[in-house]
Order: sequence, then C-alpha cells, then structure tokens
Amino acid sequence: MRILHLGTDSFGGYGGIALYNRELIAAMASHPSVDEVVVVPRIIVGECEALPEKVTFVTSAAHGRLAYLNALRKARGPFDLVVCAHVNLLPLAQLIVKRPLLMLYGIEAWKPLRDPLSNRLLRDVRAVVSISDVTRERFAGWSQYVGPSLLLPNSIRAEWYGIRPRNESLIARYGLEGKRVLMTLGRVVAAERYKGFDEVLEVLPDLDDDIAYLVAGGGNDVPRLKQKASGLGISDRVVFTGLFPEEEKTDLYNLADVYVMPSRGEGFGFVILEAMACGVPVIASRLDGGREAVRGGRLGQLVDPTNPAEIRVAIRDALAAGPKRIPEGLEYFSYANFERRTHAIVDALS
Amino acid sequence: MCGIAAIFSYGSTAPGVDRDEIEAITERMRPRGPDAGGAWISPDSRVALGARRLAIIDLTDEGTQPMADVDDELRIVFNGEIYNYRELRARLERLGARFHSTTDTEVLLQLYRHDGANMVELLRGMFAFAIWDTRTRRMFVARDPYGIKPLYIADDGQTFRAASTVKALLAGGRVGRRRDLAGIAGFWLMGTVPEPYTIYESIRAVEAGTSLCVDERGIHDVRRHYSIAATLLRGAHDVAAARLVHPPTLLRELVTDSLRHHLVSDVPVGAFLSSGIDSSALVALATEANGQPLRTVTLRFGEFLGRESDEAPLAERFARGLGSDHVTRLVTRDEFNADLPRLFDAMDQPTIDGTNTWFVSKGAAERGLKVAISGLGGDELFGSYPSFRDLPRIVNTARLPFAAMAARRLARSPKAGAVALYGGTWAGAYLLKRGLFLPDDLPSLMGAEEAQEGLDRLAMPYRIRTTIDPDPGTSFGRVAALEASLYMRNQLLRDTDWASMAHSLEVRTPLVDASLLRQIAPLLMVEKQRCKGHFAQSPCHPLPVWLAARKKTGFSVPLVEWMGLQPDGTSTRMRSWAHIVMERWA
Repeated sequence: MRILHLGTDSFGGYGGIALYNRELIAAMASHPSVDEVVVVPRIIVGECEALPEKVTFVTSAAHGRLAYLNALRKARGPFDLVVCAHVNLLPLAQLIVKRPLLMLYGIEAWKPLRDPLSNRLLRDVRAVVSISDVTRERFAGWSQYVGPSLLLPNSIRAEWYGIRPRNESLIARYGLEGKRVLMTLGRVVAAERYKGFDEVLEVLPDLDDDIAYLVAGGGNDVPRLKQKASGLGISDRVVFTGLFPEEEKTDLYNLADVYVMPSRGEGFGFVILEAMACGVPVIASRLDGGREAVRGGRLGQLVDPTNPAEIRVAIRDALAAGPKRIPEGLEYFSYANFERRTHAIVDALS
Repeated sequence: MCGIAAIFSYGSTAPGVDRDEIEAITERMRPRGPDAGGAWISPDSRVALGARRLAIIDLTDEGTQPMADVDDELRIVFNGEIYNYRELRARLERLGARFHSTTDTEVLLQLYRHDGANMVELLRGMFAFAIWDTRTRRMFVARDPYGIKPLYIADDGQTFRAASTVKALLAGGRVGRRRDLAGIAGFWLMGTVPEPYTIYESIRAVEAGTSLCVDERGIHDVRRHYSIAATLLRGAHDVAAARLVHPPTLLRELVTDSLRHHLVSDVPVGAFLSSGIDSSALVALATEANGQPLRTVTLRFGEFLGRESDEAPLAERFARGLGSDHVTRLVTRDEFNADLPRLFDAMDQPTIDGTNTWFVSKGAAERGLKVAISGLGGDELFGSYPSFRDLPRIVNTARLPFAAMAARRLARSPKAGAVALYGGTWAGAYLLKRGLFLPDDLPSLMGAEEAQEGLDRLAMPYRIRTTIDPDPGTSFGRVAALEASLYMRNQLLRDTDWASMAHSLEVRTPLVDASLLRQIAPLLMVEKQRCKGHFAQSPCHPLPVWLAARKKTGFSVPLVEWMGLQPDGTSTRMRSWAHIVMERWA
C-alpha cells in the first residue's frame, strides 16, 4: 500500500500542525500493510528530524509554489490513499485523486473557506479526519459534507516531559522566587486574541498577591497585554518570556503551579497535554477543543472562559490541590494509542 | 420550582416569628408548589422559613424544603432550578463536601459553605433563595441575573420578610397595604410595575442579579452580581472568537448547550410552540439534543382564524415534520370570561400582559406537563423587535431641528408629539416607544399631586438610564440591554412566572440565560439583527422558508374582541385594557 501525504509542514517544521503531521506520517508508515509514505511538504524551516522507515520526503517541494506543483507532478503513483493534510491544499490533492482523505485541525475548518472551489470540492472527499470533535462538528455545520468523519486526537510522548525540579536559573531570570505561578503558553499575536491571556490577566487582581502569571510565548500582542497588566495594576505579577528556545519548554512548564488556558479558538490544545505530562494541574476551556484535551474534565478542570468567577475559583481549587502528578488517563493520548487509531483509519480506508 | 418565604426578626425589640404567619404566606403560594410544603422555625423563634414545592429534580422526600445541610448549620428555601448543579456538585465532592440528597437545592447549601456570597456567580439557572446560616446568624438572599424567579421583601427596621409573591407577603397579615404612588405611576407608564417598586409601599423586589445579607444590623452588602449592559460591552471588545466560527454553527452550539442544561429534569419536559423562528428553532434544537420529539402546545383563537395572527396551522405543520406530540389548544371567549376572576387573582401585580401565557400554560398542564420550554427572550437577544430599528431613529430624529413638527405630521400615534420632548435621549426614546402612557397623561389618571409624587419617586428616566450603564457602545447593544432589563424583566418574565405557576407549570427559558449571553455577546455584536436568520439556519435541518420568512406577528390574544375594548389611540387598545386591569386586579 502506498500513501501520499500532501501537507504544509512536517519534518523540519515548527508548531503543533508540523508535530501532528510527523506523528501521523510515522504512524501510517508503521502500518504493516503500508509499503511507502511519500511526503510532499510545502515548507521546511528547520533541520529535519530523522525520517521513519518507509517514508520518502520530497524536500524539493518546499522551494516555492512552482516547485511544489512540480513535485506533485513528479510524484509517482498510483497511490492507494492520498492524505490532504491541509484544507487549503485540497484543489491540488484533487488533481491527483478525486477523493482524498482530508485532515482537519481547528480554526481553518470552522467556517467556509475563501475559495468557493474548495468549498465545493470538499463535499467529495473520501473521508475527513479531525483532531477534535469540536472541529468535526463545526466543519459539519457549514460544509454540507456527509461522508465518513473520523477522529484522531493529538498524541503526547510523555517520556519527553515529566515532573522536574524548578530550574533555578529560569526562576531568577523571570523573578519568580517565592511565587506561585500560573502559566499559559502560546503565540501572543493580535490575530489570535482567543487564547485566554486576557481572561487570566483580568482575574489576577482578585487572586493572592504571591500569584504570578507567566505568559510563555512571543508576538505582536505583547505590548497590548503589558499595557493591560499595567492598567490592572499587576505589572509586577506578570512575566512575558517572549520567544524561548524549544529546549527550555519542559523547564518552563515545570515552573508552573497551574496551567490555565480559558481559550475560545483551540482546535485541540496540544499545550494542555504537554502541561499535564509535566504534572501541572490544568484548567481548560469548555468552549473549544481544550475540553477534549482534558477528556471532558477527567484529566483537568473545565471552565467557561467567559465567566471570570469560574476561572478564579478553578485557579484557587487547583492551587489548593495536592502535589503535582501526571493525571491517570493521560495514557489515552499516548503515541501507542495514536498509532493504533491511525492504523484503524488506514484499515477503514484501504 | 417553588414558592418560598422567610422571616427574620433581627431587631432586638422585634417580636419572635409567628408560625401562623409563615404558614399563611406559604399557603397563599400553594399553586406554585402543590407537591409538598413545609415550615421551619428556629429554636429561638427569630427565624422562620417556609416553602411549597413543585418537584422537578429528585422527586423523593429528600428534596423537601426548608432543607438543612448534613451538618445542620445551614438551612435554605429555594425557588428555581440550577442547571449546572451536577458540575458544581462534582467539584464540591472533590473538595470534600457531603450530601444527603441528589437535589440542586442541597448543592446551593454546600456551595454557600465553600464560596460564600460569591457562589451566585457560579450558578447557571433561575433562582431566588434564602439561606439561614446558624454559625454567623446571617441570612443570605439572592436572585438570578435576569430576574426569572421573583423575590419580594418587606423590612420594617426590625423584621425582614421575603416571599416569592407580593400577595403571599400580604397574606401573612403583618405587612402594610398602603399603595405606592411610584408603583402605580410605573404601571401607567409601562403597563407593569417596574422593579424594585411594587404596588405597595412596604414591599420591594430584590432586583434581578442582586444578592444581600441580613443580620442584626438589618439589610446590608447589597451586591449586583450580573449586568446585561456590561456583558454586551464585553462582547463588543471580544469579537475575535466570534469571527472564527460560521455563525449558525456557533449559535447551534451555544444554544444547544443552554438547552441541554435546561432539559435537566426528572419529569418530562415539553415546549410552547408558535409559528415564530425562536420557538420553532428552539424546539428543533431541543428535539435534536433530547434525541426524541417533545410534547408541544400551540394556542389558537377563533377570532384569528384565517388571519396571519393564527399561528396554529404553521405550528402544526412544523410539529408534524419534527414528529412532535403536538396539541393545538383552542381558547374561546367563554373560557376567557370564565377564567378572568382566577386570572386576576393569580396576577401578582397589575400588568397588561400575561393572558397568553396563562392559556398556553393551562394547555401544557392539561397535557400532564410540569415543565415547558419557551422561546421567550429571542427577540431581545436577536434584535427582532421594531424597537431595534425605531429607537435609534427616534434618538437621531429628535436631535434634528423641527423634529416635533415633523413627528406630529408624520405619525398617527398619540405619543408622536412628544418626540422632541423625550426622544433626544435613549431613556426618553425608550419611554416613548415602550410607554403605555406618557408622564403628561398621568395627572388625569391618578390625580395631579399623586402623579407628581409618584413620578418623582419612580424616576423612570433614571431607572432606564441605569440599564445602559456601562454603555454597550452600539445602538444594537443599547436596545438589547434596554429591552432585556426593562420590558423582558418587568413584564415578560414576571408575567410568565405568575401565569404559569398558577397552573403548577415551570416555564424554562433557554434563551434567557446569563451564561448564554456572555458566550454569545461577541457574535451578537458582530452579526446584530442577522442573528435571527442564523438562528433559523442553526438546526441540523434548518427551518423551512415558509416558516423562517413569515412576517413576525407576536404572541397576542384577541383581547379587543373579547373585552370589546374601545379605541384609545393605540393600535392594540392596551390603554383601555390597563384601565380594566387596574379596576379588577386585587
């Protein structure tokens, strides 16, 4: 069995979608019936990780639009399954096969696409695989797609994380000595004002003075949030890390006493899995994919992000909870389970 | 859903509470809670609590009120439903709370123990309750954000009394009956008595979204825990998330979430169905959420046959499509006349509305329903009243030169001449648009001095202004806040309460939900009046065009024909009906 994976980024890419694609490609390649997975990436920005067995990675595709088209043209079929790993690539995928498998992650699938052609084409896809139920439901709400709809949530390699002692140099760098720390990690950009940073800032004045808020991430919305913190009189309790090296991420999570993300635009919320893998109690949103990352409240607390009282109470409850522990049930998102689910999807479609 | 009462003799010279009084108060509320009743008096006779119960959640005796917590330190009387009580209970159990029942009532007790007065911000539902805390000798009293459930208080400086109805407080025999000119002026102005006033000087409403404490010092710590205007303003600043999702899909998601909460019940839940978008979309979404069709009820009046205002044919057609167990309830003039004495007896305070809800509730109760869902609140939420169009126009027009002259020439309404006088402000424009009579009419209705005193104390323009403070920032937001805080609160919700409770029916309003408004406000601020169309599209099978495109008619009854109402300068002849109400209400 041969599979073609058309994606934006995967190996050599940063961020959640790239990671998800790497895991997906590896899981497909490990299927006993799969002979080859040909990966055509649109972007490669960093050094490529080691490729799994049976994966052919067409690096030449990542040199612009023409190069991508050329790579597609040269991709030798036939393929038993074509995976269109981003809805924007659907017209290209359908040049190769009429009914590709379409992957859905989050906000890109929550409302009609700008391109009317894609809106029409997606009704004919062979199946959609969604990262979360909320994305699946929101996609179904507008797309008029009625075919098979499957679920493949993120996986977490818990062994890459773990509960660690607080990194003293980070504590000193961010001035967090003697503080209890709330944390949210994500891009801090104006176009994504639905991560929940504002909501946490707004409840901070009502919380004890020894509680600080660590905003882990950089972006063009940092100045506004700094100004907001100043207006709320809590500048000295809010720390903005800016962009940080990937290798510091686990230590950053381990600085936190509570990971809180009262968001409204997360397709799933992989960062929630990361925080839980570091033993940090998690507060997620009822109104987006975050609720699925904590399995409807089984792995962490859920709040209505529009209700400051709920956020406040959840933070207090989390801070009062016992020592850190990795929640039982995080195994649900293990790579082994992800691989098993991926194989079931491949079997269902082959 | 219940009728509740509380008496607290907090003053050092106050006489102890009287069992006869608390029993008389609760007995007057028997139709609100036919399933059970009870009273509790503290060992020192300083506190009395009473309740009548309509059992909806936990039908066993464990749910009987007044209810104590497992430690016998807190005691509560509670009217309403807490729709998120299961989530709250799960949290409280994690924190070590113990329960002796499966009721939402007991969750309130433990939530108070854990979170104190802040508990009200965690509640999703409709509620009015009083908790007596024996540890601190304080009574904590609260009412839900929209004022769906009523709560009235009387405080003479020594004794505090509270009850679900004005008439129940009077039935105890210890509360003065002197009429309140402010309340009477309010009725003539608005067709209903605006809270916090009542028709009696000694009785006040606990304002919607407010809590208070009573101890040996009397009433204090009066705190507003929800503001519709502030919620809409917040929505206007938080539109990023609303732009992420296809509007009908987002509406479907949020309204279905509200519906799932509102369908929590240990008895069957039915629905009122008209041929309007709100009730139809709501019933369609409820059917999806419920997994099976609901029992639905539509009213029909012989006087409307063949007219657009006859909702029955389209409602029946829609209900058939959904597979609903549907009934059309025909109401005749004879039935209306026969019911009128009971209707006025149940009417807690004078109001020109409520007749429609009286009969549709009667129809639902005849079908054996204890709970029915209503689309009430959709017009306020989705901006489908004419006021959303007219109020901005009035405000803008009145600021132009010669506005009064133009208004007189152009409009046939008896209020048109007052555009220049009132129309330049949002409060004035609202008074003009929604007012039954104008302030200048009141001297002829209640006497010059009485009118002046009533109007001065009522301060209606000020009361209207406070409902848009903070300013929601847009015309849509202002009108939405005005309509929800005034017309819906003082008229629709209050009338729905007495008219349904008279038939021992609990009416639930999934579109009148503080959580829903918080979540939906950004979308409302972006899409404004388009939301109504989005709502019609929100069910899995969107509403058919013959229903969605139908002209809005309102939920009216043929009072003109039944009562032979004379022309009074208004299209509805409601001024004439108001005179009849004022004469016959008692």
